[in-house]
Amino acid sequence: MNEQELIEKIAYNVIQGRVVAEDEGFDEGLEGEPAVTELMEQAVEQNIDAKKLVVECLTGSMEDVGEKYDKGIYLIPDMLASAECVGAAMDILGPRLAKAGIETKGRFILATVAGDLHDIGKNIVGIMLKGAGFEVIDLGNDVPADRIVEETRKNNAQFVGLSALLTTTMREMEKVVKSLQNVGIRDKVRVLIGGAPTSDKFAEQIGADAYCRDAFHAVDVLRKMNI
Amino acid sequence: MIIIGEQINATRSDIKRIVENHREDKLIELAQKLAKAGATYLDVNIGTGKGTSDDEADDMRWAVKTIGDKIDIPLCLDSADAAVIEAGLEARESKPAMINSTKAEKKHLERIVPLANRYNAQLVALAMDESGIPKTPEGRLTACRKTADWCAKCDVPMENVFFDPLVLPVSAGPMQGLLTLNTLVMIKKEFPEARTVIGLSNISFGMPARAILNTAFLQMAIYAGLDAAIMDPLNETLMQAIRTGEALVGKDRHFRKYSRKFRRKN
Repeated sequence: MNEQELIEKIAYNVIQGRVVAEDEGFDEGLEGEPAVTELMEQAVEQNIDAKKLVVECLTGSMEDVGEKYDKGIYLIPDMLASAECVGAAMDILGPRLAKAGIETKGRFILATVAGDLHDIGKNIVGIMLKGAGFEVIDLGNDVPADRIVEETRKNNAQFVGLSALLTTTMREMEKVVKSLQNVGIRDKVRVLIGGAPTSDKFAEQIGADAYCRDAFHAVDVLRKMNI
Repeated sequence: MIIIGEQINATRSDIKRIVENHREDKLIELAQKLAKAGATYLDVNIGTGKGTSDDEADDMRWAVKTIGDKIDIPLCLDSADAAVIEAGLEARESKPAMINSTKAEKKHLERIVPLANRYNAQLVALAMDESGIPKTPEGRLTACRKTADWCAKCDVPMENVFFDPLVLPVSAGPMQGLLTLNTLVMIKKEFPEARTVIGLSNISFGMPARAILNTAFLQMAIYAGLDAAIMDPLNETLMQAIRTGEALVGKDRHFRKYSRKFRRKN
């Protein structure tokens, strides 16, 4: 397979949500065909530029998936399957990107705030951000504000992504923003928030930089920030 | 779920007529319909109860050839007579086949298990022995162990074996459903490489609203680890029960099968 064919095939399989060869895709009859993992390994073997692979195989495909999801053609599991493909691809490409000294678009601290155990949406955001070229440090769920701030400072992160799914825990986000202010690094980071009870208005109220409706929107928001 | 389409069975009067008159067109039509509905295997039982063993072997050869020439689907050769099964296996000419079935009884095992080895066929092994159908899960498991020993001796890998825990009608005994389910769990635990199969509709024999009972039982069996069912693939309610049941116990990666069945069609 030449480079272009391989790139197109990987992009196609990301959209189909096929991580490994035995996976079914969104469409029927693809089982057994090489999928993202096998193809990406082949691409690496053929020394195709890692950055090119990210841009042409992952970023564009996920935009396509996002569109299909917005239109209701794709369901949540379909989207998760595609996100899983990006995760698998990044596991293969990550070391290459680092070795080539390719800079990421920035370092992202991601967390579900204290008292909240929901992490499905946050995990999808993490995968999407990786696919979009960010370095993601996922702190998990139920993370206290001071730890989020400490990790942000320690890692020199430029972005903080906060998730909360409960009206009782969303207030924690405000605490994180305030703590960033208190340690004097609020102006060094952009704070993005998301989760069912949050909104544009809420983001504004607590002094966050942006509210993101879902993972695709988050990538979109970042693009509009010219990052 | 491996779906073994149950219709091609000469104990049904319409199939009996097809077999007696060797109606190729009718047999192919039915086989195609079952394959299209989602059957993984087609059960083929041509025992009309009239002819000799040789007659039945001839009928089996005819049915296997007729279907095999036209449709690419594995067949489940269903007979109590080893000679009839062997005729079917031969007629398959190395295409995928399943033997249905052997009991854990010496005279069956010594005839049938070597066939599974020689023809590299899948083997349905009933959890019953010389003394009939055991009344406890432990008793049925003992029967399975005996068959497993024979399989080891005859070089039939456990991957090729489908243990049938046996399903008796709940109408005859309210504990029958639970007995089958508990046996299923024990078989899966003792023989993790082997698979399990049940003849589903037996559970509801003699009861009204059979489809509802069958559906409920099928989903419970899926939870207990069922791999295959001899059932009616044309029954949409049952097919939906499989899709929903398997999706709920993590046997449908990325919900692909479920989504494909139920998502909005564009």
